[in-house]
Amino acid sequence: MAVLPEYYLLLSAAVFCIGLFGILTRRNALFFLMSVELMLNAGNINLVAFSLYYSNLTGQVFALFTMALAAAEVAIGIGIILVLYRNFGDIDVTEAVTMRW
Amino acid sequence: MAGIFDYTPAIALLPLASFLIALFLGPRMPKKGALAGILATAGSLILSVATLVTLAGPAEPYHQQLYTFVTGAGDAVSLSFGILIDPLSALMLVIVSLIAFLVHVFSLGYMNDEGEIGLPRYYAGLGLFTFSMLSFVFADNLLMAFMFFELVGLCSFLLIGFWFREEGPPSGAKKAFLVTRFGDYFFLIGVVAIFATFGTTAFAGDHSFIHMAEQAVLGDGGSEITTFFGLGPQAWFTVLGLLVLGGVLGKSAQFPLHTWLPDAMEGPTPVSALIHAATMVAAGVYLVARMYGFYALSPTALAVIALIGGFTALFAATMGVVKQELKQVLAYSTISQYGYMMLALGGGGYVAAVFHLTTHAVFKALLFLGAGSVIIAMHHNENMWDMGGLKDRMRVTYLTFLSGSLALAGIVPFAGFWSKDEVLFETLIHGLGEAGGTSQPLLLLGFAMGLLAVFFTGFYTFRMVFLTFHGDPRTDTARDPEPVRWNVKFPLAVLGVGAAVVGFVNMGLLKDVLGDSILYLHTWLDGGVEGMNAHHYADVLHEAAGYSAASLSPFVSGAVSLGLAVLGVLVAWRLYGGADPDPHMERLGSARTLLMNNYYQDEFQVWLAQGVTVPIANAANTFDQVVVDGVVNGVSTVSLFAGQRVRRIQSGVVTNYAMLLTIAFVILLAFFALIGGWF
Repeated sequence: MAVLPEYYLLLSAAVFCIGLFGILTRRNALFFLMSVELMLNAGNINLVAFSLYYSNLTGQVFALFTMALAAAEVAIGIGIILVLYRNFGDIDVTEAVTMRW
Repeated sequence: MAGIFDYTPAIALLPLASFLIALFLGPRMPKKGALAGILATAGSLILSVATLVTLAGPAEPYHQQLYTFVTGAGDAVSLSFGILIDPLSALMLVIVSLIAFLVHVFSLGYMNDEGEIGLPRYYAGLGLFTFSMLSFVFADNLLMAFMFFELVGLCSFLLIGFWFREEGPPSGAKKAFLVTRFGDYFFLIGVVAIFATFGTTAFAGDHSFIHMAEQAVLGDGGSEITTFFGLGPQAWFTVLGLLVLGGVLGKSAQFPLHTWLPDAMEGPTPVSALIHAATMVAAGVYLVARMYGFYALSPTALAVIALIGGFTALFAATMGVVKQELKQVLAYSTISQYGYMMLALGGGGYVAAVFHLTTHAVFKALLFLGAGSVIIAMHHNENMWDMGGLKDRMRVTYLTFLSGSLALAGIVPFAGFWSKDEVLFETLIHGLGEAGGTSQPLLLLGFAMGLLAVFFTGFYTFRMVFLTFHGDPRTDTARDPEPVRWNVKFPLAVLGVGAAVVGFVNMGLLKDVLGDSILYLHTWLDGGVEGMNAHHYADVLHEAAGYSAASLSPFVSGAVSLGLAVLGVLVAWRLYGGADPDPHMERLGSARTLLMNNYYQDEFQVWLAQGVTVPIANAANTFDQVVVDGVVNGVSTVSLFAGQRVRRIQSGVVTNYAMLLTIAFVILLAFFALIGGWF
């Protein structure tokens, strides 16, 4: 038990920021999905880290649930991307701008 | 004979039936529904007389709830129809049904024989009018009275505007309806306020508002009532009384709401007779008499009534002096005579007021029907200057009209003399009586105006008689008038006899000589429901309003008023009694113009409407359009404009949304960090 909680938090923050950067800069929808996964898992890291720190298993169980949810979300995300491709012939998110004022 | 009271609803329902028959079957009936009306009112008359006779016997006054249409939870307010037969209402029922019956008969001559069209509508109106008035008379609570009061107003509108194809009648009908509605508005507020105060509007019984009010002022009770605006019971009752009085002023054509009545002359003459003698106008005074126990509690309200009455009596009488149309003179005499009744009520003369109401109903119906007869004869020309010399050509009409005129002028021994004398006498003795150490100047002022009006009454009445019937005929029509038939003469004869003798029921002038037993009407009104009779009212007047009677011989005031009336008659005879009278009134110059224009009251009211009300309404409209709507429209404009700008951020690019989310999140974080003191 040598690793301090701060390092976990730093790691989680770093992963989250990478995910956020991906969402803000990428145009490809697939990269979007991946970035979202990164951000979710940054949250998971936090859950697990605190669970370990407080010697309480609840956080880890939550992390499992979050992964299951992430899988479901990816399934839906891919569905959306397929529809996107069918309608616009591309999966560039900056192209699909018909839903606006 | 106790069973007769079970038939009292029929007194009102018979005319209602005739209304329905005339309305739906009238066109297919002989006489266009007149016969149904005559039969129905005759039935009402018989039933009313039977009721009166029964009540004169050992029978107790009758009070019956008929139908409750709203019941509150628990013992809260309940609204109902009911019948109250006491001496006052029984007497009034007889008067109303008698006049209505005679008017129906007269209408045969005035409408059918003249070949008018639309007769079913006319007879339906008469039936409904009679029904409303009779129901109003035996109403046992104020709300029911109010409903039928309104219905009476509606019927007057329908009947005054009977000849709706001409220009005058619809305008007169509209005016009558609007002016009386204006008064009724206050009446409605009064009814609601009485409900709020007492929780009931019943006239009779221990739980009537009159009894409760009396308990609150005189007795120990008063816990059940609620007064408003921090007023004491007596002050609050004054307010209530004056609110209800608003309706009375409108209906009874008292100043300043009298202007509708002369215009109502545009209606058929039998209708004028009905309106002026028995229904509509009588309703106002009857209402005050009905709830006199309530008014007797408030000296202020009484003084107001007396002043308005006295003023109206004089005011209207002066206008009657210069009019040229027969019916106009009669119209102003009606206003004036109802002023006397109000004066009597305000002056503590309950019996005198009812007495004058009775005699006036007879002689004014007579005068109007006589005028109707003259109008038939003159081919609907009403200008008295085109008449003259009719007395030899229309014997029955002349004699009966003379009887009515003598009664109106107050010449002994005709009906009007006894009642008018009693009105003035009662006002005088109560005015002179000590009230809290002083005599009552307001009552004396009312009395003085009433006394002065006696002279004018005598004058204009006989000016009318002389111009119409005496002298030489001034037109060809007057030289050869159209004859009238039995259906005109019969009502005239009945009422002509009535006008001569009905005054004998209460010869107050002679009570010192012949004893109190000749005061039949007084004795009659002393009976009835405990707490609602003349005797009780006198007690209440004395205790609550501080009225007391000075001891004075009735001969003094009787002689003075008779002298003034005779003087008026003599002046009229001197000026207009010749074979070819001159229009002496034109010598009055500008005063005549003022009087002919009714003191510019109509113009004043039109100015009130157009010069005051319309600008206020316009200002309110502008306020509504500019300020209220401006705020609403401004809000929507701002929202629209802001929306148009803000929607630009809805770019459709997911990345931008994510950027916004992130920036907002960071800002929130920074904000809470700042608040939380991280830096």
